[in-house]
Amino acid sequence: MHRTIASLPLAPSVKTKLTSAGFDTCADLKDLRPLQLCKEAGISQEEALEVLQTLRSDEGVGGAAAVRGGVTALQLLQKEHALGDIITFCSALDSALGGGVPVGKTTEVCGAPGVGKTQLCVQLAVDVQIPVCLGGQGGQALYLDTEGSFLVQRAADVAQAAVEHCTLLAHDHEQQAALKDFTVENILSRLWLVRCHDYVELLAHCYLLPDFLTKHPEVQLVVIDSIAFPFRHDFEDFSQRTRLLNGLAQQLIQLATEHSVAVVLTNQMTTKVWNGQSKLVPALGESWGHAATQRLILHWEGTQRLASIFKSPSQMEATVPYCITECEAMSGSSNEEKTFRRFLELFLREMKPHCWRTNRLRCGQ
Amino acid sequence: MVVLREGICPGLNQDLVQALRNVDIRTVEDLVSANLEELAQKCSVSYKALIAVRRVLLAQHAAFPVSCADLYEELLSSTAILSTGNHCLDKLLDSGLYTGEVTELIGGPGSGKTQVCFSTAVHISCQLKQSVVYIDTNGGMSANRMLQMLQAKTSTMEEQMAALQRIQVFRVFDVFSLLKCLQNISAGEVEMACVGTSVKALILDSVSAVLSNMLGGKQTEGMSLMMQVAGELKTISKDLSVAVLVTNHATRDGSGQLRAGLGQSWSHVPRTRVLLHRVKRPGASSGLRLATLTKSSRQSCQVEEEFDLSGWRGPEDTKAGYSGKRKLECDNPGVG
Repeated sequence: MHRTIASLPLAPSVKTKLTSAGFDTCADLKDLRPLQLCKEAGISQEEALEVLQTLRSDEGVGGAAAVRGGVTALQLLQKEHALGDIITFCSALDSALGGGVPVGKTTEVCGAPGVGKTQLCVQLAVDVQIPVCLGGQGGQALYLDTEGSFLVQRAADVAQAAVEHCTLLAHDHEQQAALKDFTVENILSRLWLVRCHDYVELLAHCYLLPDFLTKHPEVQLVVIDSIAFPFRHDFEDFSQRTRLLNGLAQQLIQLATEHSVAVVLTNQMTTKVWNGQSKLVPALGESWGHAATQRLILHWEGTQRLASIFKSPSQMEATVPYCITECEAMSGSSNEEKTFRRFLELFLREMKPHCWRTNRLRCGQ
Repeated sequence: MVVLREGICPGLNQDLVQALRNVDIRTVEDLVSANLEELAQKCSVSYKALIAVRRVLLAQHAAFPVSCADLYEELLSSTAILSTGNHCLDKLLDSGLYTGEVTELIGGPGSGKTQVCFSTAVHISCQLKQSVVYIDTNGGMSANRMLQMLQAKTSTMEEQMAALQRIQVFRVFDVFSLLKCLQNISAGEVEMACVGTSVKALILDSVSAVLSNMLGGKQTEGMSLMMQVAGELKTISKDLSVAVLVTNHATRDGSGQLRAGLGQSWSHVPRTRVLLHRVKRPGASSGLRLATLTKSSRQSCQVEEEFDLSGWRGPEDTKAGYSGKRKLECDNPGVG
């Protein structure tokens, strides 16, 4: 056994005691009993027990199997296709994102106040519930609200609009049957809301998220609106803030990967003066920029709202226009005829990736 | 420090271990540094037996000197230069990634680090037909994007699938799992999905994602963990003769100067370091990047090269393919 004691997730003081007692690798500890260990290394019984338990879980199955074997990129490709995306109902934004907000990844949405971050989040929380036969994900959503900006009336409006859209899309029996279940009441009952008042509550809830997601495997979207608000005040030690945020980011990425959920974070903008010019940049400092896998920046240009993909591992950088209408965030106007054409377009587009997906999987095997 | 135990060397039996323990000799180090004559008297064991045990222990634990001629011979036969598939980067790296070395890419968010990792992995697995271990710690791994890059290189589905199969992906999100993963790799316990080809490259994207939340403040453990990661990476690169490519964050300090993440002590770890920037020029494509060499033992530093991320499949590709062929046909190239 080549695993060194120093690389185990144990308290530093315990590790120091173990190494100074001459234990170097896990093999040295393997045959010891807790009482023996606590005598040899001069640690308490509880600590000795914990050390041995950590050792067992480290060797055992569970997480170890995933680490040992890894997956090939081909298997990962098949998994990525199976996971799919959550559509935003804005065709330009969807195609720039490669089909929508990806499940299994973290996406950060930055923007000035009033540009539509919360709108986009509410929209996604409803869209994730669109039945599978209509090209949606058929999932549920968890909404962590830190700003108190979530309005249930707005969510109901968006849900109503989504139901109307889907009614127009439904053609065959299966789809119509699926729509019976897709009502505003049901949509709202599948949307979980958590109100976090400060960063401690937010961090605590993020620690509880894995349990929640195991209990509710249907949840496919976790929204944190916003990550910036609780972290922008009450902090004296900025490096402490950076560490907490980096830890949180890793936790969320792990969550997204292991539970196959899309994690969407919103972030505020702040003014930065540089070379005598002021510029709007995302809040929480530069190192936070590395945190999320994808970063989307929403901004105004005159009266037009624009969305830019700032970083993404899979998509090209792009800037697309979008607008927020009375009932939904959509590209184009709310003009009746245009809206209908959008449905048609959406319908066609939604059917295509499905065929493509099955083809791709067949080729893969 | 290794504890004295029955069976770690011939002649060291249970009674002897117990006798030594009674006089507070617990580890190999204690035994080797003790005065054996006194010890033999104190615990009434044979002096000869103690000398024999000490000799075996010293032989077991001492480092073994190697002649430089042998080392050079080995270098010539085992070192390979793996082209990154990008003409401009190869120029900076003196024709590619060297096995046995750690190369680092640094850059701000969206500067193209992950894209360079993808294209390097794809190039090594597709063009050079070698296995690649890809460790993803920030969720940036996208097999779909790799497929896109492969589609630009080869049109046959079989080749694309075979290339993807040669890339082994590990997804770890904390430093302890990362260490575990690295130690498994260095012990050769990783079962490669496709047998027959040895691992030639290890890509770790990114090292700072798992380490930066452990560093700073009053905790000293982060530093120790960071150095363990560094040690494992160096062991893997040297002992298994693997080219290691890691990415690291860059942040701006107060004066607007770009600085690599993880501080001064980490900057000694990579042998070669390349800084990636976005190029902001009117009329320039959004994929244009500037790469600067900031640390190297072979080239003069501060050399700059421009390349385009979006034009990854453009005319550059043919050049890169050519240089790849010239440098490394398979796994047996020479280094002058």
